[in-house]
Amino acid sequence: MSDPRLWVAGLVALPVLVIGCSFFRLDVERLRRLAVASALSMLLAAVGIAVSPGLHHLSIRSSALSWAPGGEAIIRVDTLSAVLLPFAAGLWLLTVAVTPRAALDRGGLRRTALASLITLGSFLTESAVVLLLLSVASVWTFLSALADPAHQYQRRIVGVYLGFSTLVFGLGVALLVRPGAQNTTLETAGMWLIVIAALVRKGILPFHAWVPEVFDHGRLGPAILFSAPQVGAYVTVVLIVPRASPDMLRMIAILALATAVYGAALALVQTSARRACGYLFMSQSALVMAGLDCTSASALAGGLLVWLSAGLAFAGLARCVLVLEARRGRLDLTTYHGGYERMPVLAISFLCMGLACTGFPGTLGFVGQELLVDGAIDAFPVMGFAVVIASALTGLAVLRMYFSLFCGRSDALAHTGLRFGLTRRESWTFVALVITLIGFGVVPRPLVDSRFAASDDILQLRRARMLERATAIRVVSAARAALRLASSPSQ
Amino acid sequence: MLSVPLAAMVLVGVGSPALLFALLGGAAIVNRSLPERWTSALAAGSMLVAWAALSAAFVVTAATGAGTQLLSYGAWSSSHQGGIAIEFLVDRMSLAFAALSAAIAGIVSAFSNRYLHREPGYNRYFVLLALFVTGMLLVALAGNVEVLFIGWEFVGLSSALLVAFFLERPAPVSNALRVFSVYRISDAALLSAAVLLRHVAGTDSLSLLFGGTRPTATVDLTGPNATIIAVLLIVAVAGKSALLPFSSWLPRAMEGPTPSSAVYYGSLSIHAGCFLLLRSAPLLEHAAAARWLAGGLGATTAIFAAVTTRVQSDVKSSLAYAALTQVGIIVVEISIGWYTIAFVHLVGHACFRLLQFLTAPNVLHDLHGMEDAIGNRPSPSRSYLEAMSSERMKRGLFLIALERGFLDSLLDRFVVEPFTRVARQLTRLDEWLCDVVIPTRRPVTIEGGEDQDE
Repeated sequence: MSDPRLWVAGLVALPVLVIGCSFFRLDVERLRRLAVASALSMLLAAVGIAVSPGLHHLSIRSSALSWAPGGEAIIRVDTLSAVLLPFAAGLWLLTVAVTPRAALDRGGLRRTALASLITLGSFLTESAVVLLLLSVASVWTFLSALADPAHQYQRRIVGVYLGFSTLVFGLGVALLVRPGAQNTTLETAGMWLIVIAALVRKGILPFHAWVPEVFDHGRLGPAILFSAPQVGAYVTVVLIVPRASPDMLRMIAILALATAVYGAALALVQTSARRACGYLFMSQSALVMAGLDCTSASALAGGLLVWLSAGLAFAGLARCVLVLEARRGRLDLTTYHGGYERMPVLAISFLCMGLACTGFPGTLGFVGQELLVDGAIDAFPVMGFAVVIASALTGLAVLRMYFSLFCGRSDALAHTGLRFGLTRRESWTFVALVITLIGFGVVPRPLVDSRFAASDDILQLRRARMLERATAIRVVSAARAALRLASSPSQ
Repeated sequence: MLSVPLAAMVLVGVGSPALLFALLGGAAIVNRSLPERWTSALAAGSMLVAWAALSAAFVVTAATGAGTQLLSYGAWSSSHQGGIAIEFLVDRMSLAFAALSAAIAGIVSAFSNRYLHREPGYNRYFVLLALFVTGMLLVALAGNVEVLFIGWEFVGLSSALLVAFFLERPAPVSNALRVFSVYRISDAALLSAAVLLRHVAGTDSLSLLFGGTRPTATVDLTGPNATIIAVLLIVAVAGKSALLPFSSWLPRAMEGPTPSSAVYYGSLSIHAGCFLLLRSAPLLEHAAAARWLAGGLGATTAIFAAVTTRVQSDVKSSLAYAALTQVGIIVVEISIGWYTIAFVHLVGHACFRLLQFLTAPNVLHDLHGMEDAIGNRPSPSRSYLEAMSSERMKRGLFLIALERGFLDSLLDRFVVEPFTRVARQLTRLDEWLCDVVIPTRRPVTIEGGEDQDE
């Protein structure tokens, strides 16, 4: 079992198994049980990969999809992706474990498994072309989840925004992998296009309007599954950070910080819980982006940590909203709903996950945000203040949601749908997620050290690329000078 | 040789309530609350251990005449540079305050055991109390900005959640959100000071602010940087200690159970800001403008609270404003430089006000008995200044005091409403952006019947 290829094949086989079974006439509840078991197995296998340094050196390279010397790793497991695999598996497990029974169907479970497979595939590659193909597949999966007539408007919005993002991504990749494009203006143009694609996909200002709309009036479940893994962040780390100029990274960081504050501020005044979730996601996702676009090891490690913590915490928070909606209908934040006594586990989980989003001490988010601020403070002090403001506003928004959704009304007056409380599966899933977020918040060292290792690798790659680029520019300049000299009249 | 037992004592002192929080909080997360007997016994034992350990540490430090010491427990979050280190900066003052906090928490814990007997939120109360005590001890002993901030956040969150303790009623919940809003301003100011400190001095050690010794502290904080950091700290202190213009949250915070009001707004939490200011005295020495600001805020708060407390119609609000009067005076003492007097005042006032808060229900009961006995209300006492004031002035002051300085209205008018208005307009702008992209009619959402999500 020391061959990483076997482990990766096992990881990929599990969602494929669920997708295959979904075509048979299995009872939906049995299919869910299979999906839960597969997701749990995938999580355990992915954790096995993450904790075994010997399995972090898989790299299957090919020159078929790139003209870069030595080709690209079509499938690879390294320090960066090793921790992202359990993250993707955890999100799948969360989705299949807490989806309300009334909302279950075979098509939904198939889409969920497919979306998880696509996420897993994205985290396993560094090839721009493969990432592009997976991006097309994920957008198609998301659009197919919005196929019903009630969501046609949101489907079009998603189609326009994410279609544009995919198109621009495709153009960018085409320029990037073109023969002889390395270290030329075309590569820079390709980089800018990929940056725009990543910004649209992550809902960064000014390409953000689709996020709150889809969260509010679209289908929240698929929106969470599409957004929470933050594949846009992965594209940024793999394709942008190693190649981008400092100015490009600075511009992305500024836009991301503005989005972080904007999203948190708007989440605070929303009347719909779903729309507030959308703005919270924008804010969290932007914080990740801001951290990833710093060239200090601490800030980059912080960004990678916030990616994990915000992804898990946000997905959990939004899932809590879905679980509540299944019992109460749409949730309005202008009134108090009560019901804490009926569902204390859900209330406490909601609060803990919300606090993890804000970077509250004792949660994983705190360590990530600390590193992010600490790393950026010398080169980019504005980031420190922006993170502080975004965090303060997010904290308020989360507590407002908590009070509105669980407090302010006596148990007897709370919605009758709450009398059933949570199912055991829902309870244990939320408890496990909270324990993960707090556990890594209290004992963060293994995860933090692994993210530092990943950020060191990324920065090393960046330094190598920058050096290569500088050398290429020098060679070209020298050649031009020689040409000029050769063709001058005095010769 | 000395530092090893001292470090152990401090660790036990801080760790004991933290362990209690982990135990009770862990049980609450899995919805398996402990029986009341166990909870109260664990709480009493934990507070006793914390008090004994911190008192012993204080005695050892005082007996040896040791100065400020930095106790380092190593890197917590990472082995790399930039990780968070657990450090405590201990001296007689910080240990005395920490031991006092543990003692007061123990007393309140014992009182609460009977006061909240069979209350539905009994365990929740003790979880939050344990979180609060942990936070207070971290604030008292913090050796770097991260530890201070962790404590500061623990105190803030537990405070807001205890204000909303009776969570089936809308008023406490809405007031808790108000309290938390001010705390977030305070948190943001503290963190901004920390960010600036790191940017200017390249360190997160509080030795620079608190005047301890640390070999790595190579930069002296003086001039505009010192003033800006000090002003940010004063804003943080003003938020936490309800100084003007943030005083309006204080009466709102009285919605919580009486023991929590006693420990937060009578004795400990409200003094946390003063204590931080006291610890930052070396920084204030270099920032004259900030000292004037602190003094001005303290004096105006003291006068405002002294007037306002006289017209309160409930005993807890009246006591809260009375406490605020003394807090204002303590801040003035610190800004003048009377540090020892300020610390003694702080400790004495914390104990006295705790007693007043805890006995308030009994005093009220006795007062009602007396009124029944004499058949009338005893005539209110009148101060010399009150007797000398004109009727018009008295009416004006009465109105201001009755409306608590109109602070809530001003806050709503100039902060909350503009913020909400702008944010709602931006929300509409986002919706408009979608409409521009897809210019078709938006579907009408039917309440409760919209989605089937996987």
